[in-house]
Amino acid sequence: MERAIQIEPDEQRVADMLAIAEHRDQAALVRLFDHYVPKLRAFCLAAQPGANLMADDIAQEVMIRIWNKAHTYKPESASLNTWVFTLARNARIDYLRKNSRHQSDIDPEYLWQNVVDENADPFKDAQQKRDQERIQQGLDKLPADQKQVLAKVYLEGKTHKEAAEELSLPLGTIKSRVRLALHKLTIYVKR
Amino acid sequence: MINYHPSIEILTDYAAGSLPLAHSLCVSTHLERCHECQQQIRKLEMLGSHLFDQTKTDSRQLSNLKDSFFEKINAQAEQERDSLKIEEEPAEIDWDNYAIPKSLRQFIKKSYDDLNWMRLSPSFKIATLYNEEGGAQIALTRVKAGAHMPTHTHTGDEITLVLEGAFSDESGVYRQGDFINRDASHKHKPIVTKDAECICLTVLDAPIEFTGWLTRLLNPIIRRYHPHSSR
Repeated sequence: MERAIQIEPDEQRVADMLAIAEHRDQAALVRLFDHYVPKLRAFCLAAQPGANLMADDIAQEVMIRIWNKAHTYKPESASLNTWVFTLARNARIDYLRKNSRHQSDIDPEYLWQNVVDENADPFKDAQQKRDQERIQQGLDKLPADQKQVLAKVYLEGKTHKEAAEELSLPLGTIKSRVRLALHKLTIYVKR
Repeated sequence: MINYHPSIEILTDYAAGSLPLAHSLCVSTHLERCHECQQQIRKLEMLGSHLFDQTKTDSRQLSNLKDSFFEKINAQAEQERDSLKIEEEPAEIDWDNYAIPKSLRQFIKKSYDDLNWMRLSPSFKIATLYNEEGGAQIALTRVKAGAHMPTHTHTGDEITLVLEGAFSDESGVYRQGDFINRDASHKHKPIVTKDAECICLTVLDAPIEFTGWLTRLLNPIIRRYHPHSSR
């Protein structure tokens, strides 16, 4: 029962994306704005607490990309949440590189564009759903210390090294917490 | 067959967007050839999206932001209507003639040959792609078939990605697509395999230092071209 409630809004949002791509449906865009902008702002504020202007800028930029790039979204290769997360990550990197003390001319657009799995695989959709579920369920069961480190890396934009410094823990401890967490989520399989 | 991959820490930082851009460039170049790591990144991005979805939102009023956003969108739509000219697609360049990875095309427009190569020895050349201000040096090295690279140590972390050809050192043989991460304690003497020249992408957090009695003379030159010591 609970699951049905969870999935439906997701499907609505995918339909909204289609409506935007096909007939520039602004009502659909309003719904996506209401859902994603608070999350996008929270994502930015996690990295730069108090930087509301930056959070507004990045959230707006991501929404513009959603509007302009809706036709490039392919539901079969990534969930909408994953797609929006990658847009947010890239927009944040781009904002920081243009506005930080050490500006960089390396254009992130070139760096993340090709990480799309283009191999046609009939089982991909099913595999993807399985991976999603495993990660979702595993994440809820993770011990707090492991989840904290993941949040530092993903939301606050810290490297492993920076996370270690901030938590006053040895780098090895951080590494093993991340590895343990990824192992439980079946993301990391030792080669 | 790719045998050397970025560590799970590097892949995680890359997927999360916290890895420095210069290092991300190497990971991205590796990913173009490595299906295995692509799969790993796909899952790491899924994890990111779940964490993103669980962020605690505040109750800030967003009506102003919403107004300004829709104003922008509508202005953009009007502009599109006004301009009768459809935006011209940039001329297609036949990239397939060159094996230049997509991630490097922002620095290498046509061919490796067009770069500004600096010859450090008869068999060893280097071309700087980009020096990050206060950061890393991104360069290509090009070594002739069968040649030794001068023995050197790293004064900081070094990432090497094999673009063309192959080389070996005391620890193994590295082929196209292999990702090699060395730290400051490492001293090595790579040899390029005899069949072809070897082109590598390298990112140096600090200049390398040659330790051979003659090649030591090159150190001031190498240092001069590294952003950390050019001032």
